[in-house]
Amino acid sequence: MVKTRQLKPLRKPNRTTRLKAHVRDHLRSLVFSLGKLCRQPFASTLTVLMIAVALALPASMLILLDNLRVVTHKWDDSGQITLFLDLHMPVEEIEKLRARLRGLEEIESVEFVSADQALEEFRELSELDYLIDGLESNPLPPTLTLTPFETARAPGILSRLRGEFSSYPGVEQIQFDMQWLQRLQGMAEIVQRAIMMIGILLGISVLLVVGNSIRLDIENRRDEIEVTKLIGATSRFIRRPFLYGGMWYGLLGGVLALVLVYTTLLVIEQPAQHLVTLYNSDFELIMPDAGQVLGLVATSIGLGILGAWMAVGRHIARIEPS
Amino acid sequence: MIELQNVTKRYPGNQEALSSLNLALERGEMVFLTGPSGAGKSTLLKLVAAIERPTHGQIFINQRNITHIPKHKVPNLRRYMGIVFQDHHLLYDRNVFENVSLPLQIAGYAQADIRRRVRAALDKVSLLNKEHSMPITLSGGEQQRVGIARAVVNKPAILLADEPTGNLDPQLSAEIMHLFSEFNQVGVTVLVASHDLSLISRMRKRIVRLRDGRSSEGGGPLA
Repeated sequence: MVKTRQLKPLRKPNRTTRLKAHVRDHLRSLVFSLGKLCRQPFASTLTVLMIAVALALPASMLILLDNLRVVTHKWDDSGQITLFLDLHMPVEEIEKLRARLRGLEEIESVEFVSADQALEEFRELSELDYLIDGLESNPLPPTLTLTPFETARAPGILSRLRGEFSSYPGVEQIQFDMQWLQRLQGMAEIVQRAIMMIGILLGISVLLVVGNSIRLDIENRRDEIEVTKLIGATSRFIRRPFLYGGMWYGLLGGVLALVLVYTTLLVIEQPAQHLVTLYNSDFELIMPDAGQVLGLVATSIGLGILGAWMAVGRHIARIEPS
Repeated sequence: MIELQNVTKRYPGNQEALSSLNLALERGEMVFLTGPSGAGKSTLLKLVAAIERPTHGQIFINQRNITHIPKHKVPNLRRYMGIVFQDHHLLYDRNVFENVSLPLQIAGYAQADIRRRVRAALDKVSLLNKEHSMPITLSGGEQQRVGIARAVVNKPAILLADEPTGNLDPQLSAEIMHLFSEFNQVGVTVLVASHDLSLISRMRKRIVRLRDGRSSEGGGPLA
């Protein structure tokens, strides 16, 4: 039954064949690890979903914040000051005030909006005709909109102007666009830092999710790892398919996160546009650019590989043949 | 080729599996290791394969001291030897060809060489026709022969076997042992642990008996 044929001598692989075998093993690990994901569709989908949600959340918040920045930046150069006047201020008084304001060296231009004009404008933008028609009298005050010179937009000068304007008769209320913008920008700064922190925490959770999935995968293949160690596999050889597994989790999670981000933006686009129109400004939601898209997917892949690496380093070393 | 000098292996709990053991195998020699279970046969093989480290003493493989071999050098040592286990240790999600080719894949051989070598090894254990079968569909004896083909596929200088006939009937056991002696005839150093004294006595090779971690040599066919 047993044949006694001498085995042919076996040439040791040279550098080129070893390199070829190396590339081949990378490709095989790449395909093999994707196959493993597909063979456990439920568990893999859960992991990918968790990664996607964890990344989509900070990503879409950052993109919305970017949008807010762009909108406020457009308003940045307005820096207008609005004086709300007494509802019953006589026209001559208003004219006198206008002339006085024009005379100020800090002010470039003065624009008057009467109470009737203001109401008309509001009617056009708000589409609340029936409500406006129901009003007995016009509740909107006449306003003077001042545009200060570029040089006069320093906080010191503005606060001096505020003091001056409030002493003028008939001026009920003063509103600085700049101030409002500065506050908004200050808030945006805080929100951005908060998003960064949330992003870091969610990034860590991605590491843990991937690490845990890979750890389970390693436990399931304990026998296989023992056998391959016994026949001379290096740690690198054993690690490879698991690291590719982490890469796949990251890639799929990142792509799904992108889908979620785009969905969020599309859902928000229309109401956002409407809101901005109310503020008398044109606006188009900016979508993430190519760099941001690639950045998100690259971050996701990076986290996937890093999470797998953490699991692999600890657990594969511990599995020794016995 | 394999040399143990004054080797002691103590497991936690102070139980000595091997006590001051000396053993030397020449290149191309075939030795049977026997003794009751718990005598230290498996421990000895594990020390040679660097699966475990000795508590005292020195171990040399091909004149290289492997007593304190660093972890990253272990894979290379293991590629130098083929190991056969009682329970085969096959991968059951891959077919026979893939199982046998694993050591060559790991060592980075060219695909054409791998095909040629795997066929040769399977031919050697008379399983060429089972190339594409899954291990689970094979009998115990066939699975063991797949394990042997995998152990010899990269032409190791040393072949270690731990109770390779443990679950097989006498006729299959004899075939397996003859297979080992054939590898020995082409120059492979073979160390086989077996408690099947009547079988190994018929093989007319050197026999090392272990008892309580100590050895006594008894060459030739002893009862």
